[in-house]
Amino acid sequence: MSNDLTSLTEDHVRQLGRIIGTLEQSTFDFLQLEVGDLKVTIGKGNVPVPVPDAAAAMPPRLAVSSVASTSAPPPQVEPAPAPTPSESPPPTAGSVEITSPIMGMFYTRPEPGAATFVTVGESVEEDSTVGLVEVMKTFNAVSAGVRGKIVEVCAPDAQLVEYGQVLFRVAQG
Amino acid sequence: MPISKVLIANRGEIALRVILACQELGIETVLTTSEADRDSLPARVADRAICIGPARSTESYLNHRSIVAAALGAGADAVHPGYGFLAESPDLADACVAEGLTFVGPTADHMRQMGNKIQARLLAKAAGVPTLSGSERIGSPEEAIAIAERVGFPVILKAAAGGGGRGMKVVNHAGNLAQTFTSAAAEAGAAFGDPTLYIERFIRNARHIEVQVLGDRFGTVVHVGERDCSLQRRHQKVVEEAPAPRIAEDLRAEIRHAAVKLARNIGYENAGTVEFIYDEDEKRFYFLEMNTRIQVEHPVSETITGIDLVQEQFRIAEGLPLRVGQADIVLRGHAIECRINAESPRAGFRPNAGVIERWEPPVGPNIRVDTHCYTGYRVPVFYDSLLAKLIVYGSTRAEAIERMRRSLDRFVVTGVDTTIPFLRFMMERDEFANGAMTTHLIDDVLPQFIGQSQ
Repeated sequence: MSNDLTSLTEDHVRQLGRIIGTLEQSTFDFLQLEVGDLKVTIGKGNVPVPVPDAAAAMPPRLAVSSVASTSAPPPQVEPAPAPTPSESPPPTAGSVEITSPIMGMFYTRPEPGAATFVTVGESVEEDSTVGLVEVMKTFNAVSAGVRGKIVEVCAPDAQLVEYGQVLFRVAQG
Repeated sequence: MPISKVLIANRGEIALRVILACQELGIETVLTTSEADRDSLPARVADRAICIGPARSTESYLNHRSIVAAALGAGADAVHPGYGFLAESPDLADACVAEGLTFVGPTADHMRQMGNKIQARLLAKAAGVPTLSGSERIGSPEEAIAIAERVGFPVILKAAAGGGGRGMKVVNHAGNLAQTFTSAAAEAGAAFGDPTLYIERFIRNARHIEVQVLGDRFGTVVHVGERDCSLQRRHQKVVEEAPAPRIAEDLRAEIRHAAVKLARNIGYENAGTVEFIYDEDEKRFYFLEMNTRIQVEHPVSETITGIDLVQEQFRIAEGLPLRVGQADIVLRGHAIECRINAESPRAGFRPNAGVIERWEPPVGPNIRVDTHCYTGYRVPVFYDSLLAKLIVYGSTRAEAIERMRRSLDRFVVTGVDTTIPFLRFMMERDEFANGAMTTHLIDDVLPQFIGQSQ
């Protein structure tokens, strides 16, 4: 929120109320408005990382993974034939996780046979699409939400991912 | 079609209850959880748990698209909704059918028919089941007054889309009716998305009697006895028992028959409950509503019949004919259930969440505790306050009450306040011991409880 709240008129407040109402009804997690000097971010849950341009539809929830992750890891799911990377390096300090913003079917590529959105070693911007999560034939693009290099692909293609499941690890910078 | 893997779209004690039933049936279980319930007991007991969204139930347990997607993704062939959340959502039932999943419950059409309380009243009438004098949809305050004067005050205004005790207002005089009508319609619109109201005669000394029914795909409907759920607070059940005390057997048989008639008339499938209001003064009963799901208080019926209602739900959903005929269902002895909620009875039953420091439920013969709690469990703030259901059996009602008293005494919970002291107080009341309960008994005696505990 702007620190210049005193400049808000009654009318502004009413309009904001309407925007909050609309946001509540929508599937969006947050909304950022910039009108002149006034910058307002309204959202549900975690404060989103700054997004450069248009707000990404589905901002990933970011959890900085130092030694111990603060959020409980998803319970070990049934041992699906998940091609977990053979060398599973301990998350590098300072690397951040891109987690799934919703539960659904995770796709690493835009369509079968196409190249993956990202590969290990590739650089991503905050608004880079890194994958898709499908819920009942609705495809939701997952944005990186962070700038850096992909160091690990953590979820296999075409598998169910949970809400909050780690999809990628990114070395920031 | 046989069910081999079911997705359970619920939480808490009922999720665990359904998982345990599935284990005995050899059905694999997948539980959908919110982020707050990731580490819950049912999540650990299920074969697989999938977190489908954040703690807020609108973004997790109430999201039918996520539930169906999780079922498909996990390779489940069926969905059990439990109670509450989406248990009576035709949208979930429809979505399951559209994706080739078996919905363990009635059809979406049955839910729609009974979900609209005005239509449910008409269906009851059509089946020859007594209904209270009242109205169909009311269009205006003037119409409400005209109907109320015909029916006689007091009357109760109800939301067509309400039910389960929500969206009701009692009006004693014509003077307040117009105003109450307007506010009730607005509230119903806000709460249920439908402002439609109807009126019924209000019964002052009422008991809540309901009948458990089971119907299969072949048109067979049986009842599994009646339950008395008169002990209520703010229209929420607190204590339930079976059979209903102090009502002549021939009248109870008539009530059970009425429920079966209604369910049979609509070709009802799976487990359901037909609720009646019983006029204690006139000794007559009237249709209230039908709940198209397994109910919280189903264990008391299980206890006096030996039937596992949840397992029967699965058999019915698989398309099997009912295993028991009416003659096979014998009501034996008496069962009482107390709902142990995380609420402070001395502070107006304010819900309270937190970590359970000690959790020591009673053990012993003929005692059943359905719960998801344990020592160290953190009660989340996001959901209802039910911690456990304590169910006892006795060969007589007096024996069951005595067992309930002693079981409540031995039920140790620290860290969060519970309703145990209040339940213990109710078990000591003469009105309860004599079976003289009405739906306003708790309100009548609550001041004494609060006075006594100060």
